[in-house]
Amino acid sequence: MRSRDTMRLRVRALDASGNDVPGAVVRFQRAGGFFEGDVSPEGLVRSGSTGTLPLVVSVTQPGRRPVIERLEIRMVPGPASRIDVTTPVATLAQGQRMRYLASAFDVAGDKRDDRVLWTSSNPRVVQLSRDGLAAAMAPGTATLMATAGTAKQEVVVTVPTRRIASLEVSPSSADARTGDVIRFVAKPKDASGKPIDGLTPIWSFSPGQGLIGTDGGFVGYEQGTYTITASFGTQTAEATVTLSARDVRRPLEVVGRAPRRRFTTEEVWLHPNGKVAYLGSGSGGDLFYTLDISNPANPIVVDSMVMNTRRVNDLMTNAEGTVLVNTREGASDRKNGIVISSLADPLHPVKIAEYTEGLTGGVHSAFVYTQPKYGTHVYATNDGTNELNIIDITDPTKPREVGKYRAPGPNAGGALHDIDIQDGLAYLSNWNEGLIILDVGNGIKGGSPMSPVVVSQYKYDLNDLYRQVELAGGPGFIRGTHTAWRHKNYVFIADEVFPSSGVQGAKDASAGRAYGRLQVVDVSDYANPKSVAFYEPEYGGVHNIWIAGDTLYMGAYNAGFRTFDISGELRGDLRAQQREMAHLNTADMEGFVKNSAMTWGVVVRDGLAYVNDMYNGLWIVRMKPKRGITP
Amino acid sequence: MSSLAAIATAVAPVARVIRAGVLVCVLAAGTVLQAQAKAMTASPAPWLPEKTYTIAVASEGTDEIAIITFGPAGASVQQKIPIGLNATDPDGPHGLAVAPDRAHYYVSTAHGTPYGSFWKLRARDHAVVGRVQLGNFPATAQLTPEGHLAFVVNFNLHGAMVPSDVSVVGVDDMVELTRITTCTMPHGSRINRQGTKHYSACMMDDMLVEIDIATLAVSRHFLLTKGKEMGMPGAPAGMGGGATHDMSGHGMTAPAAGDPTCSPTWAQPSADGSRIYVACNRTSDIVEIDAATWKVLRRMPFGAGVYNLAATADGTKLIATNKRDQSVSIIALPSGRELARIPTRRKVVHGAVVSPDDKYVFISVEGIGSEPGTVEIIDLVTLKTVATVDVGQMAGGIDVLR
Repeated sequence: MRSRDTMRLRVRALDASGNDVPGAVVRFQRAGGFFEGDVSPEGLVRSGSTGTLPLVVSVTQPGRRPVIERLEIRMVPGPASRIDVTTPVATLAQGQRMRYLASAFDVAGDKRDDRVLWTSSNPRVVQLSRDGLAAAMAPGTATLMATAGTAKQEVVVTVPTRRIASLEVSPSSADARTGDVIRFVAKPKDASGKPIDGLTPIWSFSPGQGLIGTDGGFVGYEQGTYTITASFGTQTAEATVTLSARDVRRPLEVVGRAPRRRFTTEEVWLHPNGKVAYLGSGSGGDLFYTLDISNPANPIVVDSMVMNTRRVNDLMTNAEGTVLVNTREGASDRKNGIVISSLADPLHPVKIAEYTEGLTGGVHSAFVYTQPKYGTHVYATNDGTNELNIIDITDPTKPREVGKYRAPGPNAGGALHDIDIQDGLAYLSNWNEGLIILDVGNGIKGGSPMSPVVVSQYKYDLNDLYRQVELAGGPGFIRGTHTAWRHKNYVFIADEVFPSSGVQGAKDASAGRAYGRLQVVDVSDYANPKSVAFYEPEYGGVHNIWIAGDTLYMGAYNAGFRTFDISGELRGDLRAQQREMAHLNTADMEGFVKNSAMTWGVVVRDGLAYVNDMYNGLWIVRMKPKRGITP
Repeated sequence: MSSLAAIATAVAPVARVIRAGVLVCVLAAGTVLQAQAKAMTASPAPWLPEKTYTIAVASEGTDEIAIITFGPAGASVQQKIPIGLNATDPDGPHGLAVAPDRAHYYVSTAHGTPYGSFWKLRARDHAVVGRVQLGNFPATAQLTPEGHLAFVVNFNLHGAMVPSDVSVVGVDDMVELTRITTCTMPHGSRINRQGTKHYSACMMDDMLVEIDIATLAVSRHFLLTKGKEMGMPGAPAGMGGGATHDMSGHGMTAPAAGDPTCSPTWAQPSADGSRIYVACNRTSDIVEIDAATWKVLRRMPFGAGVYNLAATADGTKLIATNKRDQSVSIIALPSGRELARIPTRRKVVHGAVVSPDDKYVFISVEGIGSEPGTVEIIDLVTLKTVATVDVGQMAGGIDVLR
């Protein structure tokens, strides 16, 4: 059926003789595709998007095993109504070859998988294969026509009279490090030496590992000399780039430890004075700890606050350090919500208020953010509704909700997990909905805490990205956009991924593992966020991150604590290009789960990383200077 | 899975303790536990059963199912079965139901993104053999007597108070067959022994809803508000409880004086199916409804915050957990006389299930914060607590495996 259409299904229940079964009850029920469509119990299918909608048709009779048939409704895009050309190259040099790419979309913007066929209005000027491979034959103009059904799109191509007589690529040679992005530019000239503008070459390189984009941006992963080639068919030019090792690896040392093993350890947060840390608890944990870290080599638990909860997943102070907000999940009265404490004495928080209205499902994450224009607010994720609830705590003794936001679409896809806010823009890690950027006071969309406005969204195919997790552990696995951090023109997002089942036959949780990928999303153009780089550990996951200067710090679940050099432009596989700086396996033979790391996240202050591990408590870690070569 | 050392102790009725000279205080030291276990082995305590019962209880706070045995050697946790999808976020196992043939048992996990799941485990080895995603906060579950269908209420206690539904699952194939819309926050539900009707209570609409199992449709509903009791045919019109959110503390907050709101939390048919007993958590009474005439027969006041109910197979006793009173009421039927009100060791009393031979009732107690959950075992003859076992936090759904 076509997407966004409806279809009526009818079923007859027949006995072994082919006769109708009187009194049999027929029901239709969706068995998946929770984001894509629905079916009424009576069999009216409503398609919400493209995809596959698995259904169960059952026939029940009292006391008998139901008869079940499974069927899948394939929901396909409607007729093509638009074609997007992704290589809109308008000028080709004589002799140049270029592959034109295009995709067809229906009226709802769903991409069709049918083949786009190409024709040229003037084959004497531009020859064109049905698949879009063009060859510029002679000066003139040709209109290249892409067709899918009744949808058409033209690209007017000009072939200049001037031929390319020479071609240069600059820089002709470069020395850089692995991971550096080097931008090459092709400069075609005619016989008189005048530049011919507006031409786009095909870029390639060899040997070695790396990638080069259509914009000539190259990044190499391995040491060595690469040959970069710009091609206009008959004319090619090369440049070389020699990459040395990035050489950012550094040793680290554990400065201090505060093992916790009664419960799992959850979020860590530091008071702005840098002398006090707060540590949440989970897996039945009903408290958070206060630690004196004035001597990082000897962190001491000096206080704790017990409350009606079974998880303090997140905690954060305001910028002034006068109040602390912690989340609650699993409270016995199911009110949950947030607790606000006074930090008149940062070592001994005192509860001054709580806010639970509408937050009965629990709060997973909370971000405290102050804007002079609007005051101080807690941006809380609502476990029950998947909403962002915005609570004004300008007067921390009288919290009140002033705004909320929920991602559009089916409720099932909107599990809001975490929030980062910078410069009045909130970055929502919205699970299946990907990254959503809200204006909560920045002004670019007129948003405020009372009325958040969507700036943009970056959504990606989680099922495709983590296909190997499904293969390893079965369908229905856990995966979603979990955390986000804005840095320069990038938003770093990390996914939380777990297989749907533990390791078959394994004795306990020590054998389990996480998966995940960190993506670097370029938001230079807010309207068109695009993923430009990534990191994925060979073993383990990615969880919470912190960025200070040009260093990214990560709690990577089973992959331990890791740091990365994120200086300069980022592109491609950050691990392959040797940007990883340090690694610590935060396991402990006396841990909550023994000898197993489950590194949660990190807060960085004054050169020290305060790393919390779910199984093993707090680690205080310092990256040391690069190890010198001893002659 | 991991075998656990026995962490429970039999708690003898006080009179018998004195006679037997056995230490009955809460034991913490392993050596003392061992000593007592040996004593029990040598000479089984008279208040303990001759046969061994196996009970499963779900702990919502720790994502595990405890397998408990209760027999001549007392009560102890034999195994803890982890359940859930997410290794780091709570899945919240809530409802637990054993199949009539006792070959499998089923657990609802309430939390998800946001939808929860219904799991099928093999009783022999506790292996997960099936899972199906259901609605918002799947909670109480029960199978029909022939064992082909499970009814699971989608409690949906979070966010806007809108009508929710009851999922019907074909457990042979572990597929959801349909969802039947009832009313707001469908809670404690039970199928009559005849297998013809399913009853659930809607906390926020003061409503009892009857589903006809033959047609998988709502057949009748009943308004439970004190002084306004009324049975009506068909499904309730769209309700919503008049509240934007549930802030009642899930039965833990005492109502204002004179509040007639029932806030029903459990519907329990009598053994012969002729009566339905509904626990009114707010008014702290049990409403008895005639299933034939669909009229109220009486309201019976019991413990504060009466919450879950269970009935003996012989039809002579009704057991009620009193959530705000930290106690369990044992009620004689048909008289409605309270035979005993038995205090529990910890707070937030939750579920109840009667042994198949009607000799014991097993009570799950949630506890508060980091307190462990508890299973308390009450002798239905002596009306005394005979054993308690600590399990994972927030113990809820409970049933007898064998």
